[in-house]
Amino acid sequence: MSELTRNCVLRLAPGCRFSTAADPQDNLLLIPEGALRLKGPSRAILELCNGERPLDELVQELARRYPPEQAARIESETHAFVAQMRDRGILEVV
Amino acid sequence: MKYRPQALIAEVTHRCPLHCVYCSNPLVMQHRSDELSTGEWSSIFGQAADLGALQLHLTGGEPLARADLTELVRAGRSAGLYVNLISSGVGLDERRLDGLIEAGLDHIQLSFQDTEEAPANEFAGARSHALKLRVAGMIRQRRIAFTVNLVVHRRNLGRIEDVIAFAEGSGAQRLEIAHVQYYGWAFRNREALLPTREQVQRSIEVVEAARDRLKGRLRIDFVLPDYYAKYPKPCMNGWGHQQMLIDPAGRVLPCHAAPIIPGLEFHSARERLLRWIWEDSPVFSRFRDEAWMPDTCRTCDRRARDFGGCRCQAFLLTGNASATDPVCILAPSHSIVEDTLQRINSSADSGSPGWVYRLDP
Repeated sequence: MSELTRNCVLRLAPGCRFSTAADPQDNLLLIPEGALRLKGPSRAILELCNGERPLDELVQELARRYPPEQAARIESETHAFVAQMRDRGILEVV
Repeated sequence: MKYRPQALIAEVTHRCPLHCVYCSNPLVMQHRSDELSTGEWSSIFGQAADLGALQLHLTGGEPLARADLTELVRAGRSAGLYVNLISSGVGLDERRLDGLIEAGLDHIQLSFQDTEEAPANEFAGARSHALKLRVAGMIRQRRIAFTVNLVVHRRNLGRIEDVIAFAEGSGAQRLEIAHVQYYGWAFRNREALLPTREQVQRSIEVVEAARDRLKGRLRIDFVLPDYYAKYPKPCMNGWGHQQMLIDPAGRVLPCHAAPIIPGLEFHSARERLLRWIWEDSPVFSRFRDEAWMPDTCRTCDRRARDFGGCRCQAFLLTGNASATDPVCILAPSHSIVEDTLQRINSSADSGSPGWVYRLDP
């Protein structure tokens, strides 16, 4: 599978959605195989994958929420996370 | 309560247009006249969600045999559950599929018996393959999660490359290659279905290479068949730990095969609340923690991983539901499985023995 480009647009794949019924503290993403417990900023990243925003913009939006010195780390970790979610079939490229 | 049922497996009917030689339904099936109503299922879905369930698996038999399936999907989704449909596709047309999706269906798992029409129809005991291909085409055109399930055994495991290529062309995001589980009807046909060691070893290599190649395009679920594994599978992820199954007549079970175990009293969702059945009924706690375990399991480091394996398989193979699952290499009764495999592997070349088809309930 090819590398994700900086301007690729991502969204949740069919069959992947946030749980609405369970305890909100659980922070679950429901998927065909079961559920994923979302930790740290992973929920925020997946919510930013709305099928409209290029990956670069997504990273910038996320970076605004953290101190500026973390920008480089946010970029590399977000790229790694969305690539992993794409490989798992949870995100798709629009 | 330490445990919560994360998934509810709803066997909404045992009626089925297929007669698969490895059918996992019990030998004695529930009749249509005893099936739960739409309202009864709706109440059950709400109770399951209150207990913490996340996933609803609508299965059967063939769920499409129920005229109210769309309402069942809507009821499951209204209760806040993630709704999976596990189906042969027989009985699905474009309108019905759109209705199911509109009602909130999250995911369809479509079963195939083979990649080729003749053997597929032979294993299913019905001319269903061509129709399933049409159904796959309909699903592919819609934005819904789609898994192809294909059951493998001695007659088709040797063609596993074809299975993977078939799934690639189907439009599915997932492929579940499921080994026959030897319970129910499948146990009767075990001699004809168990694969050989050579087939199993080769299939693992083929699947691993394909997983690498298809990463991000097609997920492949495939596990070693437990007869050939060193240790048992964590059956149901532990008895009464994470899942409950309700049969068409409302009987609440820790797993689909549990009624074969003598001496267990099952309760009906028609007569009791699910919470009582899950938390307080003796049957759900019977093999829940470690008190029931034989010494082999109780002193084993793996007991929190595989929970001693499958209770139904232990009973089927040894006559004792509290024995260590005989597929475990540490089980005192492991020779039962070894002898079976030796017989299969030394005689498989001489052609498959015949098998027995099952009829509708």
